[in-house]
Amino acid sequence: MKYPMKRIILMCVGLMTLWGCDSTQNDGPNQDFDRKALLENMADGLIIPAFTTLQQRTTAMEAAVRTFTENPNATNLIAAQQAWEAAYLTWQSCNAYNFGPGELPVFGTLTDNIGVFPVSTQKIENNITTQNLSFDNFDRDARGFLALDYLLFDLEGNDRVLPKFTNPTRRQYTRQVAQDIVTKVTAVRTGWDAYRTSFVANVGTDAGSSTAVLYNEFVKSFEAAKNFKVQLPAGQRAGQTAPEPTRVEAYYSGKSMVFLEAHLTAIQNIWEGKKANGQDGIGFEEYLEAVEGGKDLITQTRNQLTSVRQAKTRVPAGSLSQTIRTNLSIVQDLGVELQKQTRFYKSDMASLLGIAITFNSGDGD
Amino acid sequence: MLRYYTQSCWRDWQEGFRWSHWSRSQFPIEPLVTFRVVFGALMLVSIVRFLALGWVEDHFVNTQFQFKFYGFSWVPLIPAAYLYALHGLLVLASLGIMLGAWYRLSAVIFFLGFTYTQLIDLTYYLNHYYFVSLLSLVLIFLPAHWAYSWDYRQKPVYVVPFWPVGLLRWQVAILYVFAGLAKINTDWLIHHVPLKIWLPAGDSWPVVGFLFAHPWAPAVFSWGGMLYDSLIPFFLLNRTTRWPAYVAVWVFHGAVGLLFQIGVFPIVMIGLTPIFFSADWHQRIWRRWKTFSPSLPPNSAVKVPRWVWLYLGFQLIFPWRYLLYPGNLFWTEEGYRFSWRVMLMEKAGTATFYVRDSNTGYEGIVDNGEFLRPHQEKQMAMQPDMILQYAHFLAKHYQSLGMKNPQVRAEVYVTLNGRRSQLLVDPTVDLSKLTDSWQPKTWILPAPTP
Repeated sequence: MKYPMKRIILMCVGLMTLWGCDSTQNDGPNQDFDRKALLENMADGLIIPAFTTLQQRTTAMEAAVRTFTENPNATNLIAAQQAWEAAYLTWQSCNAYNFGPGELPVFGTLTDNIGVFPVSTQKIENNITTQNLSFDNFDRDARGFLALDYLLFDLEGNDRVLPKFTNPTRRQYTRQVAQDIVTKVTAVRTGWDAYRTSFVANVGTDAGSSTAVLYNEFVKSFEAAKNFKVQLPAGQRAGQTAPEPTRVEAYYSGKSMVFLEAHLTAIQNIWEGKKANGQDGIGFEEYLEAVEGGKDLITQTRNQLTSVRQAKTRVPAGSLSQTIRTNLSIVQDLGVELQKQTRFYKSDMASLLGIAITFNSGDGD
Repeated sequence: MLRYYTQSCWRDWQEGFRWSHWSRSQFPIEPLVTFRVVFGALMLVSIVRFLALGWVEDHFVNTQFQFKFYGFSWVPLIPAAYLYALHGLLVLASLGIMLGAWYRLSAVIFFLGFTYTQLIDLTYYLNHYYFVSLLSLVLIFLPAHWAYSWDYRQKPVYVVPFWPVGLLRWQVAILYVFAGLAKINTDWLIHHVPLKIWLPAGDSWPVVGFLFAHPWAPAVFSWGGMLYDSLIPFFLLNRTTRWPAYVAVWVFHGAVGLLFQIGVFPIVMIGLTPIFFSADWHQRIWRRWKTFSPSLPPNSAVKVPRWVWLYLGFQLIFPWRYLLYPGNLFWTEEGYRFSWRVMLMEKAGTATFYVRDSNTGYEGIVDNGEFLRPHQEKQMAMQPDMILQYAHFLAKHYQSLGMKNPQVRAEVYVTLNGRRSQLLVDPTVDLSKLTDSWQPKTWILPAPTP
């Protein structure tokens, strides 16, 4: 009985050697990818700088809103609008990071609290009428950046905005909304000082590891842009019977396309590892280069990114809701191209990288 | 010397596998007792862990849709409070099995309760859960509580027929051997995928991480895994190779436990494989009969219950049903489940569903996140039968919203073992008009070429 056993072991060793050689011969990828470097670049190159800028710009926005509400005239309104636009543009580079400090206590993530649209104009007006100035509730569609979009802008122009601000409660509400944004952004920015260490140290790929959490939020952010900023207003969602142009992001300021552009760029930057200062660093692209089959996926992803960009440039930079009313098909084309992009970011990439998709995934077998 | 080895080997193999041996009426109960106690204890740990991690909530509560097993769509999902009560009952039943207290009732409750929790959620199908269901079913009919138990504390019976031990050995061996045979395929043995994908992801483990990232690791682990699974029951049965084999059990399941999120199952296998050990080993553990004389009083032949043969026959034949289906098993998954295909492929998909109102012709894209949890979406997006179930759900949902005659089609891109993703099902077919059956699914598109 000893003989067969020995023979089997010998056979194993022999076969393994054979296949082992085979596997080292093909110019396989370098499998020693340093996930820590990826996480460090994400934290130090992208996330923390983005939140630092966001904190500065929201603070500036709050100051401008304060000036305007204390002295509501056309000049101050334009200054507040510009400060809002600058801050909200930066927000597009932050809205993917709803983990760690981005998960606020009680009322959900940072995006839930300051990035929800469409806002409920009814709730906002009702809050103003009833002088309800508390944000300790789940009425997250009555606060945040898009509440300011409604309060500071009017489709008919600034002349329609100013008269509304004779109401002192409206002034106070607007100020509080701006303040609330600053408070929450500051909490997240400060939270990253402590969280960075554990974020960078958790280098696994299992559920709950930094790479998995970042990856999942990256995909979620992409899908949010696709589903809610393009397909839903363009009427491409199942169950819709017509486009709903009023459901675009930043409907009242009419600057949806600028923000969408910034959002999609931010997502691509995470994939490329492109830092806030524009330098290329280590991102998921570099990670893919290091794994079997990754180079092919990079090519496919890049090709589709080009198609998305082409579809995007066909949509005029002006009001997206206007384009949906007048030239629906070019917006829908963008929705289709984004849909095609999904699998490259989602299943294909997670599969090659061996990243756990769900945060609390249960057992496998 | 050689003659001695040969004889002793034969004895071991007879004990395990020779059919004629199965009629023996007299066999020590201890192997069964070890199995009963370990199984009960591990299930206790497993159920408590499931509760502690909040998985009852995650799996079953407030979901909009539960995927069901074919033929079991009628099994209803009970409210959360009852589910918690059921898990509490399972804790008690595990204790009952372990201690041999109200053993039969405990085993019946465990089998029904545990199997119910499986039937209400196809997305969490695991071979190991199937294994647990099978074992608890079989345990109902085995006299594992005749000694070292609360039930038989007064008049323990230390001798049982051989067939219960034989049955458990066969069951465990079937799991291993089929798992090993399933690994004999080109991707696994020659291209070393999916391990080439999975192993580097485990490189962050202290001490052993570098091993997983070593360029030779995928080859070594692929071949090692196939040989381990195919052969381990035989080496465990054989007295001369038993201990090295049991060390291999620890090493193998330990490594697998580090690499993959598979919960308690490595420990389950480590705990249950001693069923292959000789009876005297178990007796030494239970400290009753210090020495076991193989010359027990002459055996009167016992008739092995017919259900045992039927059960084993089913277990041996059912995993081969995939041969009746055309196409690539890994791609179509027709006959994939209940066949011990464990951690065998890396497969993932992105499924985009389109719902069209037949009256207006208006077609829209479904946001799966609106209806499914991430885990459900992940599982559904690569398995044709779940895609079909979900399509039916969508048709019903949009009908309830007032759409007269919804058509549902799906663009499902699936990547298998790191290949480029490609369409899994015909994107033009109205899935809401199809029904699932044992028949081959003709709407599945051809698998990617190697």
